[in-house]
Amino acid sequence: MKNIRLIFLLMGAFMLFLAGCGNTQESGEAASGAEGSWQPEKPIEVVAPAGPGGGWDTTARAIAKLLESENIIDQRMAVVNKPGGGGAVGWAYVNGKAGDNHTMFIASPPLHFVPLNGQSDLDYQDFTPLSAVIADYAAFIVKADSPYNSMTDLVEALKKDPQAVSVVGDSAPGSMDHMQFVKAVKAGGVDVKNLKYVSAQDGGGMSMLLGGKVDVYSTGLAEATEQARAGKVKVLAITAPERLEGETISEFPTLKEQGIDDEFVVWRGFFGPKDMDPAAVKYYEDAFKQMMETEQWKEVRDNFGWTDNYMNSEEFAVFLEEEHKEIEALMEEVGLKQ
Amino acid sequence: MDFSSILYGFQVALSPGNLIFAFIGVLAGTVIGMLPGLGPISAIAIMIPLSYGMDPASALILMAGVYYGAVFGGSTSSILLNAPGVSGTVATSFDGYPMAQQGKAGKALAIAAISSFAGGTISVVFLMLVAPFVADLAVTFGPTEYFALMLLGLTAISSLSDGSTIKAMIAAVVGLMIATVGMDQQTGTSRFTFGNPSLLEGIDFLIVALGLFALAEVCQLILRRKEKESKKKSDVGNLKLSKGELKEMGGPISRHSVLGFILGVLPGAGATIASFLSYISEKRLSKDPSSFGKGNIKGIAAPETSNNAATSGAFVPLLTLGIPGSGTTAVLLGALLVVGVQPGPLMLQDHPDVFWGVIASMYIGNLFLLILNLPLIPFLAKILAIPRQLLISLIIVFCLIGVYAVSFSTFHLYILLGFGVLGFLMRMFSFPAAPFILAFILGGMMEQSFRQAMTISNGSYNVFFQSNITIALFIVSLLSIFVPIISGYFKKKAEANEDERKGRTA
Repeated sequence: MKNIRLIFLLMGAFMLFLAGCGNTQESGEAASGAEGSWQPEKPIEVVAPAGPGGGWDTTARAIAKLLESENIIDQRMAVVNKPGGGGAVGWAYVNGKAGDNHTMFIASPPLHFVPLNGQSDLDYQDFTPLSAVIADYAAFIVKADSPYNSMTDLVEALKKDPQAVSVVGDSAPGSMDHMQFVKAVKAGGVDVKNLKYVSAQDGGGMSMLLGGKVDVYSTGLAEATEQARAGKVKVLAITAPERLEGETISEFPTLKEQGIDDEFVVWRGFFGPKDMDPAAVKYYEDAFKQMMETEQWKEVRDNFGWTDNYMNSEEFAVFLEEEHKEIEALMEEVGLKQ
Repeated sequence: MDFSSILYGFQVALSPGNLIFAFIGVLAGTVIGMLPGLGPISAIAIMIPLSYGMDPASALILMAGVYYGAVFGGSTSSILLNAPGVSGTVATSFDGYPMAQQGKAGKALAIAAISSFAGGTISVVFLMLVAPFVADLAVTFGPTEYFALMLLGLTAISSLSDGSTIKAMIAAVVGLMIATVGMDQQTGTSRFTFGNPSLLEGIDFLIVALGLFALAEVCQLILRRKEKESKKKSDVGNLKLSKGELKEMGGPISRHSVLGFILGVLPGAGATIASFLSYISEKRLSKDPSSFGKGNIKGIAAPETSNNAATSGAFVPLLTLGIPGSGTTAVLLGALLVVGVQPGPLMLQDHPDVFWGVIASMYIGNLFLLILNLPLIPFLAKILAIPRQLLISLIIVFCLIGVYAVSFSTFHLYILLGFGVLGFLMRMFSFPAAPFILAFILGGMMEQSFRQAMTISNGSYNVFFQSNITIALFIVSLLSIFVPIISGYFKKKAEANEDERKGRTA
């Protein structure tokens, strides 16, 4: 029965493969000494609260690999996917490991939006911020032949009739793509209660924009840049505080220079579970800082078009609190807060 | 389109390093494809961090190989175990599995391999010749067009069942209901999630397919365990096709490499929908539709050609516009960023080596796949010679591992079991599973497209009559509902006349 053996061999190989990309977690209390003297004693579990291949997963894998290969953290950094609920499944998982110094997860502004939408009971206050790492910005774009040439044009049109323009984003109402647009036009004085927002999936927003089915696409800077360089779209505004550097990107006007007092940072950072040892927090803070100074990091960062946005645990916590307040008020106004 | 760029592409693809990458890619792809549940997305995502510092062309050649290799290999478990390897090969099991059960597993696998190869290769020719021109097609399809396309697919429900049309309709309605589970994209409201965050993103297509097909089949095998396995298993691995059989495949291959390619170009349609629509249209075209679902050669050739053609088609929006058309191409897009290539409309200008190299490598990769798969067929087919008790446990284990490897949660294993039970009950009471799965896959997208269109138009139905493509698709849908009814009516009348005449003479 040679074939049976073959099959079992295949199965065995497959299981090994699974084990390789899977979890390595045994809970055991890490011995923590005096302030600043904490060291990881076993592999660190980095949770990406989404499926493989998305933004969270890619960032987590890139950073985990650098921390390992540059010998900044002397333990294996195992990235584990916990997809579901726009992050809620992964957060619930990390929340169950309170006090565990060997677990962390990657997050970005949806950590505000998802709980405010009523889809998760946990929000940023239930976790320990470790460090913010990178920033990305939102971009509002129209087709090259659109009558709108600036954010001011668009805001004026929306002021006259909030239904005059259809906006597409790649996620549901009340999520980041939607709210970043709402936030910007509200700062421009538009009545944001009745905007026409269409949600597309799997990057369908760009094809709907290029096909002329919708007027505006609310997206990220990375998605907009190449299309703008090819002259297919016009970038009406980006949400950075000031103009960014780099070919093509430096041509994108900010909201502020168009008289709209708003900015929105799509931050990405890492959080630990509740009650993490302060010494461990310090350790990770330093590790991220050190990693961001390496040459390798700069290369990875530039390939992805990210901007450095380091904040230590304390700064990050202050930032999050302010941002949360602002978004909460906005969601309340649009009637999406649950 | 000039000849020198094609030559340049082959120069890139034929360099020793890239040949090896193409080979590794398709090999990994076929193996991943053969394992039920596990799809190319996870495999490519895991490869991304490994590709730092790799030459961009090599990296994409490798990962593209995993992608089309998985669709190529996915038919194997569909045919042998009724457990689809990837979602694009669900339709292959409709005729592939019955044929394998008739002791012709080798033949079924050979048909699948040859159709996959033909579909893959012909569509790469299209990709090479017309990619820049059909790129616009990808963006002309908006919400109304997708709605009409999905509607056309749904009109085929009755033709997917042999028995009662009413039972097929009931199955389809249940499929539509299951499609509503999860967060509603247009309002952000949770529907039928019962507060469980694991259900917020809906139920994965593959979980439903594995439950309804593979686990339901396992239940039936267990029930029939006392029956003697009467079929001769000696020539199960025989993959010889007669000339007539090869000829029979010619029609579906030429038709569905075109249809599959076009559907692949459309973001959001993709290999799964392409394979279903091809299967349905082939059945409609057939002179003997009742032989479908019982091991018809065309019933294997059509979806297998189509899903592989759609895979090449999916590269059109990715390479020419920088728009990902599916989950897998979205991950490929991320992989390009890692190796320092900005995917977008200027990629052809900025990185001709990536563009032409990948396309050329797909010819070579498809050839590798054929060479890899054909000699393996006799061995793979002998899986069916495994004693039933062992085979059953193997299928169960594979399904569970496959689902866990995608969802990383035990909750989804329970859902899988639930669909297994549902599938089994449906079989007991002869409700067909195919309409269920078709409605499930088309329903979600149909609803979202409809509502997107309504939001854009401020609730006016006129939006559905402003596009020629939409109107044309509506007309075809209407025809496909009424032509069979009318022709059936005339046939009955003719038969009745015949009977009457016979009665008189008697």
